[in-house]
Amino acid sequence: MRRSLRLAAILAAFAPAVQAEEFTWAVNTDPQTMDPHAVNSAPVLGFLNNVYEGLVRRGKDMTVEPALATSWEPIGDGEGWRFTLRQGVMFHDGAEFTAQDVLFSYQRASDEVSDTRSWFSPISDVVVVDDYTVDFMTSAPNPIFPGSIANWMIMDSGWAEANNTALPDKENGNYATLNTNGTGAFRVTAREPGLRTVLEPFEGWWGEAEHNITRAELTPIQNPATALAALLSGDVDFINPVPIQDVARLAENPDVDVIQGIEARVIMLGFPHEAEALKYSSETTDTNPFADLRVRQAVAHAVNVPAILQTIMRGNAQEVSQLVSAAMQGYVPALAERPAYDQDRARALLAEAGYPDGFSFGLKCPNNRYLNDEAVCQAITGMLAQVGITATLDAMPVQNYWPELRADNYDMYLLGWSPGTFDAEHPIRFLAATPNEEKRLGSWNFGGFSNARVDELLPMIQSEIDAAARQAMIDETTKILQDEMAYVPMYVQPLVWGTRSNIELTQRPDNFFILRWVTVN
Amino acid sequence: MSDFPIPVKPKSRLRIALDSDLFYTFRRSPVAMVSAVVVLVLVLSAVLAPLIAPTNPFNPASLNLMNGFTPPMTPNAFTGESFFMGTDDQGRDVFSTILYGMRISLFVGVAAVFFAMVLGITLGLISGYVGGWTETIIMRTADVQLTFPSILVAMLIFGIAKGVTPVEYRDQMAIWVLILAIGLSDWVQFARVVRGATLVEKNKEYVQAARLIGRTPGAIMLRHILPNVLSPVLVIATISLALAIIAEATLSFLGVGAPPTQPSLGTLIRIGQGFLFSGEWWILLFPAVTLLALALSVNLLGDWLRDALNPRLR
Amino acid sequence: MLAYIIRRVGQSALVLLIVGLVAFSMFRFVGDPIDNMLGQERTVEDIERLRAQLGLDQPFVVQYYKFLEGAVQGNFGVSYRQGRPVAEILLERAPATLELAMVSGVLAILFGIALGVFTAIRRDGVFANVIMSASLIGVSLPTFLIGILLIYLFSVELGWLPSFGRGETVDLGGWSTGFLTESGLKALILPSITLGLYQMTLIMRLVRSEMLEVLRQDYIRFARARGLRDRAVNFRHALKNTMVPVITVIGLQLGAIIAFAIITETVFQWPGVGLLFINAIQFVDIPVMAAYLMLISVMFVGINLLVDILYFFIDPRLRADRSGGH
Repeated sequence: MRRSLRLAAILAAFAPAVQAEEFTWAVNTDPQTMDPHAVNSAPVLGFLNNVYEGLVRRGKDMTVEPALATSWEPIGDGEGWRFTLRQGVMFHDGAEFTAQDVLFSYQRASDEVSDTRSWFSPISDVVVVDDYTVDFMTSAPNPIFPGSIANWMIMDSGWAEANNTALPDKENGNYATLNTNGTGAFRVTAREPGLRTVLEPFEGWWGEAEHNITRAELTPIQNPATALAALLSGDVDFINPVPIQDVARLAENPDVDVIQGIEARVIMLGFPHEAEALKYSSETTDTNPFADLRVRQAVAHAVNVPAILQTIMRGNAQEVSQLVSAAMQGYVPALAERPAYDQDRARALLAEAGYPDGFSFGLKCPNNRYLNDEAVCQAITGMLAQVGITATLDAMPVQNYWPELRADNYDMYLLGWSPGTFDAEHPIRFLAATPNEEKRLGSWNFGGFSNARVDELLPMIQSEIDAAARQAMIDETTKILQDEMAYVPMYVQPLVWGTRSNIELTQRPDNFFILRWVTVN
Repeated sequence: MSDFPIPVKPKSRLRIALDSDLFYTFRRSPVAMVSAVVVLVLVLSAVLAPLIAPTNPFNPASLNLMNGFTPPMTPNAFTGESFFMGTDDQGRDVFSTILYGMRISLFVGVAAVFFAMVLGITLGLISGYVGGWTETIIMRTADVQLTFPSILVAMLIFGIAKGVTPVEYRDQMAIWVLILAIGLSDWVQFARVVRGATLVEKNKEYVQAARLIGRTPGAIMLRHILPNVLSPVLVIATISLALAIIAEATLSFLGVGAPPTQPSLGTLIRIGQGFLFSGEWWILLFPAVTLLALALSVNLLGDWLRDALNPRLR
Repeated sequence: MLAYIIRRVGQSALVLLIVGLVAFSMFRFVGDPIDNMLGQERTVEDIERLRAQLGLDQPFVVQYYKFLEGAVQGNFGVSYRQGRPVAEILLERAPATLELAMVSGVLAILFGIALGVFTAIRRDGVFANVIMSASLIGVSLPTFLIGILLIYLFSVELGWLPSFGRGETVDLGGWSTGFLTESGLKALILPSITLGLYQMTLIMRLVRSEMLEVLRQDYIRFARARGLRDRAVNFRHALKNTMVPVITVIGLQLGAIIAFAIITETVFQWPGVGLLFINAIQFVDIPVMAAYLMLISVMFVGINLLVDILYFFIDPRLRADRSGGH
């Protein structure tokens, strides 16, 4: 502790005298903890990627690139992965990075109380070969393992033990909840939760600095109009997200730039596949029309996705036909076509299924989770009403939403899914596999969609090393999910960032804001 | 009904005020007359909304999303349709939505104030007249009530009601919850005024007399004490109406207001403020101006009423 | 007398207990904190384990009892969201709210009294009537809209004032103040106007009507007849006598300002306890919600108690009334 303070003082004294380039940015959600293993959520991991580092990291185009490991290779015939560690890397407190820290961070991140535990479910053992070599043994061949741990951040074992934070503590918090000690390009110099977090460049960083920032400050601003006002008035240099309706106006403003990209998040409609009957219908009380494929198809044809994109999304989103966007690994270009918007066909399908006069049901929707989620659901309600099925829309804040879905209180629901691994296997595992608590499968498959062939294909996809064979299996799964209309994927949510025009930065598709790619002009 | 002619002093005082003085001061006050006209026009157009409004914005099947964001009096680029006050993000005609929204705002406001009034008067009369532990309990409850910001009361009732109402009634439920929540946070004022007046009145000779001839406490409270406190109650009610309409808007900002499929003026403003910077000013401006006109006129009327009913100020 | 005070204190304590009970029965309707504490890859098993760990699987009465047990010892629990003791967080955020409340309260009182006196003295003047009507505009629009319009005008269009936050603050022994820096003072302007507008209107109208009442009393007429100048009459005699009810209302409104700072703080991202509370609702941070509600309740009940005890000393008639009761 004392040593680290002295070191920091020395480092500060030797810091080159550059012009102060301060950078302030605003987000709608403050990272709730500084502990990289406590909460597996985008605001936390996105922010901590500036402070902590993993063995591998993702580059500007999401490719996996070396970070704390310089290289990695499969062991034998898919028994595991061997990582060669970077030498001469220092933590912010001056401690040296070695294989012990990797082992410790594995134990910490894979513990029962850690939210990041599921990343390590394929791992059977971790072996420290020497100070700079670590083996990760897998229970089955796992071709995507290196990419799947890009957000697994390494913590110094000595620091963690000295500060009594060997495990994350969600309930009471501990030293690591407020303090950091990573190897990343920036170190946290002040942290006031919910108010501001101050970062300064780490002089001892192993990499080559691309940025010219001398001090950066993160402020959460919840009210979108206030955040926008702060950007327009120059009180902050960057905001994420920009309300979608303001994109066009902002683009005309010479002081401000809008940066747009396609996010990984697919917005879709979900059905109660397993339910015996509708819960919120005023007439159809003993059947579940959505169990009939034709009704699900009718829904797909009744929703005018182009119109939603044109008006509510203002032309800033893209249609999608499967559970992942085109930017993800495993996307199937051959199955890119969505069910066409066709009201007559929808009515015909409903009549065929035995509902010529339609029926009524309840649509559940969050109102603060996805971009304009409530407006989208409202529009869907209108479109479905036009083909004769009348939805009662029940929109609620997300803190009420998930408990409702878990309790099966819906007849149809809106869901957004962003694959953490950037791979098509991810949504199959969480959304399409038959729910199985023991195997940790289908944990977000609220409707209980179940298809034997999909369940059979999933483990094969997970362990197939040959890329072509793997893709063929994903193709088959995607086809089944489309034919069965397990979900109605609608569009990929856009990613919209706003900056002052003197700022240069790079937008990564996972919506992570990487400070070391920022230049203030 | 007792057959003794009890002195009806309180009733007659109000009668006289209504008959002559009130109307006289009304005609002398241009502000009051203009406000009254504005309120009348707004209330009428809200009540007659189904007849006046070009479309029914509460029917989702009638909406065409492609009409979204049409500026006022300008044909839509895709559908060629034109709207007097433009359309909102769902392609709803803003003018019709305002008319229908005002219905909800007014209904919530009037019903909430009525609820608060009935509750407040009843509890105020009882606590003032009966006293003792009853009074202590009622007035301590009033303290508890004041302690809870109305926002929290609304969220509490919202949550509980949500748990017990089937989803197909939730749209309507939201309205009743708002009424209950706003009414509950308003009754204390009425109760305090009525209790104070009751404490003063109950020892007066005419009440003693009524008691002596064997009138029941209920009758005494209703027939003798209540008419005496009607004018302050009327003033509070008018001002509370304006406050209730604003409170509904505020609750809507916090996400516990009227549902967006059946928006009130407050919900419309909440939706509209999202478009303040994007150039679709009409989605915010027209509902905001309507709300301002409504609340301002009601407030001005309440103001005038207070001065007019307080004879010492004349 | 002592008996009366003891009884009132006892009643207040009971009120606090009931507030707490109602609050705890409400929390499970606010939502489920678990989803915010676990990531996308959680399982149902994880959810249940954490729920048991936090004691959320127990009936709310038990949760409430545990909260009380801690609260009596000065321990308000640990925030689910921040993983820090709630008392620490509240203390950290309180200065922001108190400073905002103080400035908007002072603004409301100064302008309220000045305009109230003015409109009372010139009760038939055109300008006074314009002020009376215009003041109503401020209370005829919802606070959040006024705040957003002020930001739009003064931050975005004119660029004079900051759009959010407190600006630079100076730490004075645990109390962070925005009074000592230019940016801190600038940041106070818009939020305090937004928050104080309603109270200003209220005070102005109260002062006006009290003044009108007093001005027609005999002793004022007598003072005028004696040839005292208008100013002396208006301020030395009339205003002084209107102050008692005005002070009572100000006392009660101070609590209201702090409680209703919630909206203003949300619009201006003002880092006070109101914003903390709104965030706590969003993340179902039960310990923070509970502590905030108790804090506000203690404040209201305390003010109420104080007022009652003061009345007891001032007005002997109330004693008879209170203790009597039929």
